[in-house]
Amino acid sequence: MARTRHSDARSRRIGLILFAACAVVAVPALIVLFSMAGNSSSPWFGQYDAETHPAFDFSLADQDGKPFRLQDLRGQAVLLSFGFTRCPNICPTTLGHLAAVYRKLPPSAQERTKVVFISVDERDSPASLKEYVPFFNDRFIGLTGTPADLGTTARAYGASFRKAPAVGSDMGDYMIDHSTYTYLIDPEGNLRVLYRFEQLPETGRIADDVLRVLGTRASGRQP
Amino acid sequence: MLLFLSPAVIFAGDVEVEGAWIRAVPPSSKATAAFMTLVNRSEKPVLVTGGTSPVAGEIKPMITTKQGDGVMGMGFVESFSVPAKGRRVLEPGGDHIMLMKLREVPGAGSVVPLVLTTESGGKTGHIRLEIPVR
Repeated sequence: MARTRHSDARSRRIGLILFAACAVVAVPALIVLFSMAGNSSSPWFGQYDAETHPAFDFSLADQDGKPFRLQDLRGQAVLLSFGFTRCPNICPTTLGHLAAVYRKLPPSAQERTKVVFISVDERDSPASLKEYVPFFNDRFIGLTGTPADLGTTARAYGASFRKAPAVGSDMGDYMIDHSTYTYLIDPEGNLRVLYRFEQLPETGRIADDVLRVLGTRASGRQP
Repeated sequence: MLLFLSPAVIFAGDVEVEGAWIRAVPPSSKATAAFMTLVNRSEKPVLVTGGTSPVAGEIKPMITTKQGDGVMGMGFVESFSVPAKGRRVLEPGGDHIMLMKLREVPGAGSVVPLVLTTESGGKTGHIRLEIPVR
């Protein structure tokens, strides 16, 4: 049965339509850096990058259609993930876990933390994000943009996405295979910690990482 | 006697379903997913081929594919096989039962009737579930 499943998945991928602007992005040095930074004695739960790498300052539109730049969040910790609103499994799982991380932060840290979800689906609009993202937490930010801007942004984060046909369903013409990493950006705008999808259930430990980039103690006291 | 059975464990012939739940999704959603552990008590493999529910026009088994660089995708399959005397876990980020063409988006706290369709030894079977949404 395992073999059948595998060939199912493979044949499905043969017909992949590559996303116009982005196509399949090779994993850039960023991820390699992160994986080399992995250290069992590290106090960080995610993969911490001790070197300073400014996170790409994307310029997209938020769920109200207003221009939004990462730079607007300077001074705050940012948890960033990519997905699309028709995504019925991975994205709600990710955003559900990030909502739990957010709830575990003391109010003072919540004020200084933003969760950002970038849709890489050209079918999404500010309106569809507005129906989707606040469901998980009404303070979360959903972003979209032109295919070119989304491609550039995803590439800069080492995230990749590609259309995959959704045969025999009403999921739309296609679904999107996409990166499932979550990124933690520090208040200075540097990419600091990377989480694999499988790490997301550890919401308390991710909350500790957020407090650490904020420079606050786990008790929630401000420095 | 039946009263004392946990509602989370439903017997349907040879297959038992444990811990079933449906994910609460935004009201604009076209689809959601059901997760559960399928336990096969019989000596034969059992296939789960789909299902029916008042809330969904289409219910299909779906797998999650993992690619090396953290990329994940999803794909429909004809069935999930639950091995003889074995179990199969359907969980977030992994395999799941996809509920599509939603007639209504079930809210958190509601309970969704869902009948899973199974096949074993050439026979079609049904597992009737009442699945909580959370």
